[in-house]
This record gives sequence, structure tokens and C-alpha cells, in this order.
Amino acid sequence: MWLMLIVLLPFLGSLCVAFLPSNSKNWEAWLAGLVAAASTVITLCYFPTIASNEVATLRYEWLPTYGLNFSLRMDGFAWLFSLLVSGIGILVVLYARYYLSEKDPIPRFFAFFLAFMGAMLGIVLSGNVIQMALFWELTSLVSFMLIGYWHHRADARRGARMSLIVTATGGLCLLVGLVLMGHVVGSYELSDILSSGDVLREHSWYLAILVLVALGALTKSAQFPFHFWLPRAMAAPTPVSAYLHSATMVKAGVFLLMRFWPVLAGTEAWSYIIGFAGLITLVMGAFVAIFQQDLKGLLAYSTISHLGLITLLLGMGTPLAAVAALFHVLNHATFKASLFMAAGIIDHESGTRDLRQLTGLRKLMPITATLAMVAAAAMAGVPLLNGFLSKEMFFAEAAGFGSGNTWLPTLAVIAGALSVVYSLRFITEVFFGPVPSGELPKTPKEPPRWMRFPIEMLVVLCIVVGTMPGVTVAPALNLAVHHMLGAYTPEYSVQIWHGFNLPLLMSVLAFGFGLVLYFLLQRRYGISRLDKVPLLHRLDGQREFERVLLAVTSFAVRVEEKLTSERLQPQLFWLLLVTLVVGGLTVWRSPIEAVRSPIGFEPMFAVLWIVGGVCAVAAAYQAKHHRLAALILMSATGIVVSLTFALFSAPDLALTQAAVEVVTTVLILLGLRWLPKRLTPDVTGVKATLRDYRRRIRDGLLAVAIGLGMAATTYMVLMSAGPTKLTDFFIQHALPEGGGTNVVNVILVDFRGFDTFGEITVLGVVALTIYALLRRFRPAPESIELPAQRLGDIKNVAPWQLARRGYLAIPAIYFRALMPVLVLLALYFLYRGHNLPGGGFVAGLTLTVALVLQYMVSGTLWIEAKLRIRPHQWLGSGILLALLTGVGAWLFGYPFLTSHTAVVNLPLLGELHLPSAFLFDIGVFALVVGASSLLLIALAHQSLRSHRRHFSGKPPTLRKRGAMRWS
Amino acid sequence: MRLAEHLPVLPILLPLAAAMVLALISEFKRRTKITISVVSAVLQLMVAATLVVQADGVADASPAAVYLLGNWAPPFGIVLLVDRLSALMLLLTSVLALPALVFAIARWDRVGVHFYGLFQLLLVGVNGAFLTNDLFNLFVFFEIMLAASYGLLLHGSGKARVRAGLRYIAVNLVSSSIFLVGVGLIYAASGSLNMADITVATSAMSHNEYTLLQAGAAVLAVAFLVKSAVWPLNFWLPTSYGVAVAPVAAMFSIMTKVGVYSLFRLWAIVVPEENFPGLETEADWLMGLAMLTLFFASLGMLAAQDLRRMAGVSIIASTGILLAGMSLGSPNAWAAALYYLLVSTLAVGGMFLLIDLLERIRQFGADLLAVTVEAFEAEGMVLPEQEEVGVAIPAALAFLGMSFVICGILITGLPPLSGFLAKFSLLVATLNPVEGAVQWWHWLLIALVIGSGLTGVITLLRLGIRLFWVPESHARPHLRIIEAAPVAWLLSLCIVLTVAAGPVMGYLERTVATLSFPHDTARAVLDAAPVPSPEEVR
Repeated sequence: MWLMLIVLLPFLGSLCVAFLPSNSKNWEAWLAGLVAAASTVITLCYFPTIASNEVATLRYEWLPTYGLNFSLRMDGFAWLFSLLVSGIGILVVLYARYYLSEKDPIPRFFAFFLAFMGAMLGIVLSGNVIQMALFWELTSLVSFMLIGYWHHRADARRGARMSLIVTATGGLCLLVGLVLMGHVVGSYELSDILSSGDVLREHSWYLAILVLVALGALTKSAQFPFHFWLPRAMAAPTPVSAYLHSATMVKAGVFLLMRFWPVLAGTEAWSYIIGFAGLITLVMGAFVAIFQQDLKGLLAYSTISHLGLITLLLGMGTPLAAVAALFHVLNHATFKASLFMAAGIIDHESGTRDLRQLTGLRKLMPITATLAMVAAAAMAGVPLLNGFLSKEMFFAEAAGFGSGNTWLPTLAVIAGALSVVYSLRFITEVFFGPVPSGELPKTPKEPPRWMRFPIEMLVVLCIVVGTMPGVTVAPALNLAVHHMLGAYTPEYSVQIWHGFNLPLLMSVLAFGFGLVLYFLLQRRYGISRLDKVPLLHRLDGQREFERVLLAVTSFAVRVEEKLTSERLQPQLFWLLLVTLVVGGLTVWRSPIEAVRSPIGFEPMFAVLWIVGGVCAVAAAYQAKHHRLAALILMSATGIVVSLTFALFSAPDLALTQAAVEVVTTVLILLGLRWLPKRLTPDVTGVKATLRDYRRRIRDGLLAVAIGLGMAATTYMVLMSAGPTKLTDFFIQHALPEGGGTNVVNVILVDFRGFDTFGEITVLGVVALTIYALLRRFRPAPESIELPAQRLGDIKNVAPWQLARRGYLAIPAIYFRALMPVLVLLALYFLYRGHNLPGGGFVAGLTLTVALVLQYMVSGTLWIEAKLRIRPHQWLGSGILLALLTGVGAWLFGYPFLTSHTAVVNLPLLGELHLPSAFLFDIGVFALVVGASSLLLIALAHQSLRSHRRHFSGKPPTLRKRGAMRWS
Repeated sequence: MRLAEHLPVLPILLPLAAAMVLALISEFKRRTKITISVVSAVLQLMVAATLVVQADGVADASPAAVYLLGNWAPPFGIVLLVDRLSALMLLLTSVLALPALVFAIARWDRVGVHFYGLFQLLLVGVNGAFLTNDLFNLFVFFEIMLAASYGLLLHGSGKARVRAGLRYIAVNLVSSSIFLVGVGLIYAASGSLNMADITVATSAMSHNEYTLLQAGAAVLAVAFLVKSAVWPLNFWLPTSYGVAVAPVAAMFSIMTKVGVYSLFRLWAIVVPEENFPGLETEADWLMGLAMLTLFFASLGMLAAQDLRRMAGVSIIASTGILLAGMSLGSPNAWAAALYYLLVSTLAVGGMFLLIDLLERIRQFGADLLAVTVEAFEAEGMVLPEQEEVGVAIPAALAFLGMSFVICGILITGLPPLSGFLAKFSLLVATLNPVEGAVQWWHWLLIALVIGSGLTGVITLLRLGIRLFWVPESHARPHLRIIEAAPVAWLLSLCIVLTVAAGPVMGYLERTVATLSFPHDTARAVLDAAPVPSPEEVR
């Protein structure tokens, strides 16, 4: 449980801090400091457990079937890192408390800082590798927020973005690598993986796993060729740099390599990939660091170089080198954190980080200067400081690597010399030289006592470890090494004096060369005046990164433009093509064997269908050129279909189809008037090109293919006798159980009443939608003109005048007289529906036809002043009635829509059989009336709205009885 | 029969009754309309939750409830089926609907008429499509859903909406016709529309019938693939989802899932017995389409220049991942895909709501400025030094920022939230194929799944920085609780899914275990007996 707290506390603290008001500066710092301290203390308390070689674990099941547990595991190695992360965390909190300005949004800083610490501790203590990858990406995300803390600065934004993209990509690679690793081992638990080194190394996926894990580690630890994000991340506030780039973020990469060292290292591929990345980074980083003019830039490249050193040591693959790597991680963390803090103080106090401006600060801030010089000396590897010890170990390993190779020791000495040079630059240019006189933005002075305290602590550590390694760091290091390397743990000793040997000679050489080189560069080469790195300035990782990103994005844009389209035609083309291919392939795979032969030939029927077919094709052909003709032709096809139903003894369907045809055709005709005129080529002057013709031919061919395909499909269906289970059942049970002799109607309102229920809902939705759309819809300006067909008869009569008095006076009278007849007919259809052709649907459409006639001949306003139609009420109550009828069955203990027949005795009419399906049908009737009249009204009021501006004269004032409420 | 026994039909009847009552009420009585809508949504949520509990109480592959509409024995009447999958989808729908509805109350309901009614009708369609076990009835509910979606997409009107809306309508009408052709073929082959009946009938089919069945299923699958937005049938999606008002777009994120869900059901229909998951060829085809979809969606995300398009394209990406998981065919892969379905629906829904809020903090011209600044930065121009003091962020903006980050993490599948768990479980499933070794295309799939996340990250970073970090100032966000709460609700649900991943995945595994025996389920459905009539009882 305490183990859990180490990771959990920072996250909880982060939440608490986030909700503190922004002006309570000290509270946040105290809280953050306490959290960091608590994590440190808990870690320290685990020392006895760890010292007795136990491994503290904690496991909760999270996604057990996929092998993902929330699992914490602290062995000596993790313990050491945990101590490092939380311990330096305390110091950085203290430092940040003084570093940040009063005006900075402090809660945000500490919230993300604590979250970062938690994520880092999570990586270190993870007992499950997937969970490790999870915390790994979390550090990337949170570091993005920290680097972009001053996001109003362009460099901060750019740096944050770059670091996130690079490290997140690496993290995703790592995730895949770890998933593969777990798959090979059969478990994602770290302890299982650590004990399966041989299985992993011999598996055929080893190389893939290695490369993926290496990608994760190298991106995070800023190793060549992914090093470029780290200098850009220096745009972060210095406390962030001090924490991320000394003890935590970048160390996560080498932590990972160390963690998996026992299972992945020791192969040639490992040495090549990890070793070379480290070697190149070591030398290149040191070289570039020399030529930096920005204080933090120098530290950034030196960090890269030192990480390269650690990576190289790990890549060598010998246990002793791994020990040296671990030791150097600790040493680097201490001196680099203090150097970053010192750089921050210098920046803070003098207002600049430019090495060319800074000079002589030794006099103005003597204590800070001394501290920084000690830390820089540790970085250079001066004896009696901690950096010296691990560097000696490195030299020893480099000298002993392979047999008789000389290039590695040589490169090691060169890198050592370069590190001497940049450390010297840091010391001499900042602290020595003439005292600045006014050219600095601010006059430097010593920082507050407690701001310096973290540096003092770290520098003391550098010295103590450097002078007395045996009593200070050795026990902890031994424990860590033991758990890191397991069975590979070598014999080694951490001490200052190993006698006169090769490493010592190499150290002396490095110092010698370093001093000479520095003075050469300073005097001859004028290093302080350079503004770009010699030789390597072309190798601009950042520029390449931006270029690649841009290229990928523009590739994506091009592909999207080419392969997708917002236009309708290509979409429909693809849709039909896919359907054709999919359907065709299925049948082609196992062709149909026709089992029936066509029977007989009915000439009348053939003629009917030829007419229908010709009309359909003609409608398709005319659709583009003449909409009215196309519409009429289409309805002709509809009539043919309706006749076909009648011929095949489905009078119900025939009747419904005919009614639907009439109403839809009329409604579309009413709307047709508002479509824009077709622009012919002689108006627009645009000629069809060859490409257009090609496209039309292509589309035509597809249309023909689809048509033939549908015809063939229908033929196939007709020729293979299908099962008739349902049909037989319906015919048998319609009367005895459905209570109706009209099978079609019984199917509609009883067997499949739920479908009808759904379909009337669709009709209702469509009506509501169209009404909502047309309610405020103004036609396009070009269609406001009266159409040519109407110009002859009624000149200069405003539409509302027509709407008030009607269009055709004499037919209006006839139709008014016809109205009651039609209503009666509708009611008749409704009543007889259950036994004979008819039903609610047809009845509703019949009533609609009556209404449409009235609207057309009597005028919209006239009819609405006389007859108030409430389509919403019809519509709503229609469906509600159907619904309640269905729910009524519940009262009798039956499911929804179970039909019942009530026998009632009415005084005049005698005994009546009232099936519940009849009530349902009334609902259908009401809905159809409501929906179609809503459509009608929506269309009818179009013309009233559109012409208001077009005609002079008074707009209609006919507001009484709500006639105008639709407009 | 008590009310509890009618629960399966309530997710359809409740919103329908609500919608019709809403149609009766005048547009001016807004408060009443809101009350009815919210009550309906809450009741649906409760019903769906009850159904999930009921469904999970069943031990074997038989469904939790078979509701015989009209009291006709299957396969003669229409049947509603509640099993773990349909109950879960119902719950997902209502869990998404409630915040979308509440969000709309703040402003979007007033830009047109009939919003609440159409919203409830969309729920009727979606719930019905999840519940029905009848192919033609599925068509009917698709139509209800689509008809309502036309209205909702056009809600607010305006040139852009009408333009995109009409295209959307045209594409969907064509795909509805294709749907109908498919249903017709399946009916011709099996003589039945009841899915369970068809499943059982497959084992005794003649050659011709089976071919027709397959052709019908293939054609039907095309209609479902249009709905689930598979490449190259998805061109309509980003634009139309982009122009819809926020709560509608959020609600639409469930609609592609209806397509995917129907594919799951169709799979169970045509698969021959003793051969689950079977259909290797079809699975390969589907995998190919899924990978193409994922690939183009990844590129589409990179190319996206605004958040709406990004969110739309991420829906397409999620379809790719879902279908890939489905065609992997192993129970683990199906469970992972379903988990992903939950996460992506909620996250994208939340994203659409959030985008609406984010668009309001932008000041006039800020977009252009941000792009310009970005271009300068890309060319390495040195901008004037700014001082090293941070800019404080008001609480409302901080909320939006955090929500944006969480949404992004969820959508791209970055750790540590549920999007990551979904992708991780899918990776694991990919590495454990049903039979044989890991093939090259498994590696390709892994690369695509990871790559799509990465392109998402890159794009969201670009757009997020442009939105939050570049502008010097933001319009003061007027964050109303009624708009913030829905976003917070959806995102916290995703976080709950993360924490409770074990139990949720357990439920999904049981779901998949049920789906793995479609023939057992089908027989159980057909065994459902109607309520005996009084005479029969006697």
C-alpha cells in the first residue's frame, strides 16, 4: 500500500494544486514540496526491505484477460531511481518557488510538475511493462505541458510540440515492442520477462522487439538521430529543464535500456544499435556543446553527450559497463541538475543566458559561482568529484572493450577532452573576465538564500560522493546493480584510487587535450564570435523534422483531394460499383442453377411491362433535361406497377400504390416550380469536354450494368422456388386468428403491424422534417419569377390575391361539392379495410387528395380561412392512437400490438365486431392525413412567402383564425 | 404480464410517445417540451440499464428476452431480441443521448422547429435497430433513424447544411434501396425475415438458396458499410457531420455504430454452424476494407484543417478499427472491438460538443492570425522575444483545455485512458490470430492502428496549439453549466471505462461468448412461445 502512495501522492497533489487559486504562491510550493518529500521518505523507508534483497510488489487486476495488471514492483534498481526522482523533485520544487515570477500561473506549474513526477515514478516502479509504456507516454504528455508552460512564446510552442511528437512516436513504438515482448514471454509482468532473457534473445521477433524498444529509449533519451528535440525543449522554464533533463525525462530512456539489459543485451544487434547510437551521440553532443552561445543550449548538448556516454556503456554489453552506466546516471543527475539551476539563477539575475554577454559574475555572485564551478568540474570529470569516478570506469571499459581495438579508447579520450572544453567555457566565460558594466539587462546579485540551497545540496553530494564513494553511494549502488543485472552482477569496486593505470592516463590525456583545445579555440578560432556550429550546422535535425512533417501533411492533402470527394456523383458511383462487384462476385463464386423454366406468355402483360419499362428509361433520360416530363413518365411507371399488383390479385397493394402515386406526383409537381431552371450550354457557354463525355459513358455503362444485374437477380429469384413457409401461414391464419379476410391488410395491421407502425412513423418524421426545412425557406432569386407557363393568363395578379380568391373559380365550386363525397369515400375505405381492399393508409391518402384539390383551386388563404387543418395534431394523435392501441394489449397481459376483437352491441347498428386492429388503422389514417397535409401546407405557403417582395402592393393581412401561422 | 415484461419494447415506445406528444405541443411551450424530452431520455437510460442487468443474468447463449410483437410465434411475427449486445448498445445510446439533449437546451434547440421531436425519433430508430431481430423491421428502423437524421442534420438550415444535407439524403436513399434489395434476396432464399429463423435455415438450404442468401447478405452488407462509413463509401460523412449542430453531430457518432452493429448481426445470420467465426474470405475482404479505411482516415486526419473535420474523420478511423477487430474473428478481438466501440462513441460525441464550445472562445480573425504565425514559425522566422512570464488561464478556459486534452487522448488512443486500453487489447488480439501464425497483414494492421493514433496526435496538436496557445487572448468563454456538464459527463464515463476496464471487458467477453453460438441463440429465439389465449389456457 505504501508503494502505491509513492506513485499516487504526486497525482493527488497535482489535482489539489490545480484547484488552488492562482495567487496562493507559497501554498502550492509547500504542497508540492511535501508531496515530493513524502514520496522520498516512503522510498527511504523501503530501504530495509530492499537491503534484505526483497522485492516489494503490489498488484491489482485491471484487464486480467489481456494480461494487463496495475502492478508496482520495487527492487533495488527501481528503489534507487525512485529515490533519485523524488529526491531531486524536492530540490526543484524549492528552487522553482523562487524562480517563478509572481505573475506566473503557479498552480498550473506545480500541478503539471507533480503529475510529471508521478508519471516518472510510475515508469520506475511499474511491475507490468504495458503499464510502464502507459506512464511512459504520460511523461511525454505532461512534459509537453511543462515545456509549453510559457506558451505565448513561439519557441516554447515549437519546442513542446516537437518533443511531444518525437517522444510520443517513440513511446508508441515502445508500446508495440513491449506488447511483442510480452507475447513472446507469455506475460506482461516485469518479473516474468526479466527471467526469460534466453527465450527472448532466441526468438525470431527479437530484432523487431529490440528495434522498437530502442526507438522508444533513444527518442526519450535524445540519442542520435533523435537528439534534436532536447535543445528545443530548453524553452521551458529552468526548473523544468533542471528536472526533466537531469534526473527524469531523459533518464527514462536509459532506465528502460538498463531495465531490459539482462534480457535484451548481449547480442551483436544490441551492441550495434545501442552502442553506435550512444557513441555518435557522445562525440557529436560534446562537439556541438562547445559551440553553443546560449548557456542552456550548452547544458542541453552536454546532457545529450552524457546520455550518449551512458547509452554507449549500456551498448557495450558487459556487466561492468552497465555498472558504470548506472553510476554515471546518478552522478550526471546531481551535477547537471545543479548546473541547470545555476544557469537559471544567472539568467534570472542578469537577464540573459548569452555567453557572449555574460562575464565576470564571480565577483557579483561569488557563492553561486563557486557552486557552479564545482558542478562544472564534476561534469568535466575532475578528480575528487563524482563525475571523475564514473568517467574512470568508462575509460576502463572503453580500453578493455574488444581485443586490441584502439578506436574506442581514442574516441573516449576525445569525448573526454571535449567535455573539458565545454565545462571550461562555461566556467571561464560566465564567471571570469571583466566585471560587466551595464551591458547586461539586469545587474546580477546573489539570489535568495533558499533558491541557492538546492544547488548547495547537490554540490555537497558531488563532493561527498567524489571523495568518499565507499561509504556514501556504494551500498545503494550495490543493491541497484544486483537487482538490475541479476545473475550477471560482476565484481567491481567503487573507489577513487585504482593505482596508475590506463584509465588514469586517459583522464590525464583528456584534460591535457581539453585545456590545449580550449585555448586554441579561444585564441585562434574566436569561439565566442561564432554563431553556428562548424561542420555540423548543416545537420539540422529540427529543420529535417519540420520538413518531413510538412511533406507528410501535404501528401495527405493531395491523396485526400485525389481519392475522396465531397461531391455526390463520385460517391454514388462508388456505392453502385461496390454493390455490383460484391453482388456479382458472390454469384460468380457459386453460380445459380435455374430449376424452373418460364411458363407461358401473356401478351397483354408483356405490353404493359414494355410500356412501364420504356416510361422508366425515358424518365431517367429526361431527368436531366425536362423534369416535368420525367416526373410524368415516372408516375406512368408507377401506374404500371399498380396495375401489375392488380393483375396478380393484390388489389390492396394496387389501390395503395395508385393513391400514393397520385399524391406524391401532385406534391412533387407543386414543388417542381421552385427548382432552378436548367442552364443550357448556350446560356452558360460551357461546352462538354471529352472528359465529360467519357464520364457520362462510364456512368451510363454502370447504370446499365446495375439495371441488368437487378433484372438478372429478379429472374434468378423467380426461377428458383423459394420456401413459402410464411405465405402459407399468413393465408391460413388471417381469418381464424387475425380476424380478417383481407390477408394483405391482416399482414399490415396484425402479423407485421409493428412494421406498419414503424413505416407510419417514417412518414411522420419525413413530414416534420420537410416542414421544418421549408418553414423559413426562401426560394432562390432566379425561381421567383412566374414560370413561363403561367405568364399568359394572369398578369400582374399577386399570388396572395390568387391565394385569397382562388385560381379557377368554377372548378372550385365543383370541387367544394365533391369534398364531402371524398371524405365519405375515405371513411368507407377506412371502415372496410380489414376485410376488403382499403384500409387506413388508402383512406388517409384519399382525404389528402380532397385537401390538395381544395388548396389548388380555391387558394391557400381562402381554404385556410374556412377550414382549419391542424396537421401536427392529426399526425401526433394518429401515431399516439396506434401506440395506445398496441399498449392496450398490455392490460390483457399480452405483448404490444396483440390484436383483440371486441363485440359491442350498439342500439342502431346491432352487433359489431370491433377488432383492435381497426383502432390501429384509424391511427394510420390520421397520421397519413396529418403528414401529407403538413407537406401540402409547407409547399403551399412557399409561393406566399416568395412573392412578398416581388410584387408591389399590400401584403396579406388575413391573420384571423390562424391562416397565416404557417407562413 | 407486468410492465417489467414489456421492458424490451419500451426503448422504442418511450421516445416515440414522447415525440408524438411533443408534436402536439406548440413550439412556444419550450419548457414543457424540454421537460418531456429530458424525462423520456432519463427513463430510457433507466430502462436500458435494467436491460443490461437482466441480459447479464443469463448463463448460456440464449437471449435474455424475446419479445413477440402481436403475440405471434416466431418466425411469423416480428421479434425483439434483448441479449447482452443489444442491451449494451441501448445503454450506450441513452448514455450519449442525455448529454446531447441537455447540451441542446442551452441554445441549439431554438435554431429551427421540431428539434426535440426529431431527436426522440432518432432515438426510436436507433433503439429499434438495436433491438429488432427481423430484417425488414431493421429496414424500417433504419428508415426512421435516417428520416430523423435528415431533419436533425438540416436543423438550423442555412446554405452549408442544405448542401451537405441533400447529399447525405441522396446517398442514404440509394443505400436504403440497396438494403431493400438485400432483404428481398435473403427473403427469397430463406422464405423468412426473422434473423434467427434464417440462421437456422442456412444449414438446410439448397445450393441455389444459399447462393441467393449470400448474394443478399453481400448486398445488405454494402448498405451497412455505407452506414458505418467504410472507404470508399464514406465521402459523405466528414462534411455532413461537420455542418450539423453540435448536439446532433454528437448523437450521430452512434449512427456509424448502428451500421457496424448490424454487420455483427448479419455475420451471425449467414455463418454456417460448427464453423464460427467462419467466413474466411469475407473476413479477408472486410479486413482489406478496414485497413484501407484506417489508412485513408489517418491521412484524412493529417489533412484536416479544422476540428470538426478532424472529429468526423476520427469516426471513420474508429470504423476502420472496429471492422478490423471484427474480421480478426477471435473472441478477444471482438471483445476489444466492442470496448473500442464504447470508448470511441462517447469520446467523439464529447468531442463534437466540445468543439462547439471551443469555437466560441475564438476571437474574430484569430484563426487567420494563428495560421499566419504558424507559417512564420515553420519557415524559421524569428518572432519578437516575449517575456518569460506565463499567461494565466481563466478557469473556464482551463476546463475547455483539459477537456480537449482528455478528448484527444481518448480519440488517439494514447495512454493512460480507455482509448489506449482498447487499442492495446486489439493489438494483443491481433498477435493471437484464430489460427496459424501472425501474417504480414497482421503487422500491417498493427502499424495502421498505431499510425492512425499518431497522425491524430499530430493533427490535434496542430489544431490545439492554434486554438489555445497562439492567440494572445481569447473571447471570454461564457461556459454555462448546462453545456459544460454534458462534456464532463461523457469524458468521465470514458474515465470510468478506464478504471473499470476489467468488469466492462468481462461483460464484453460474455457478450462475445454469446455471439459465438449464433445457432444456439437462434434456436432459443425460435422456441419463444406466445402468451396463450384464454381458451388455450383452459
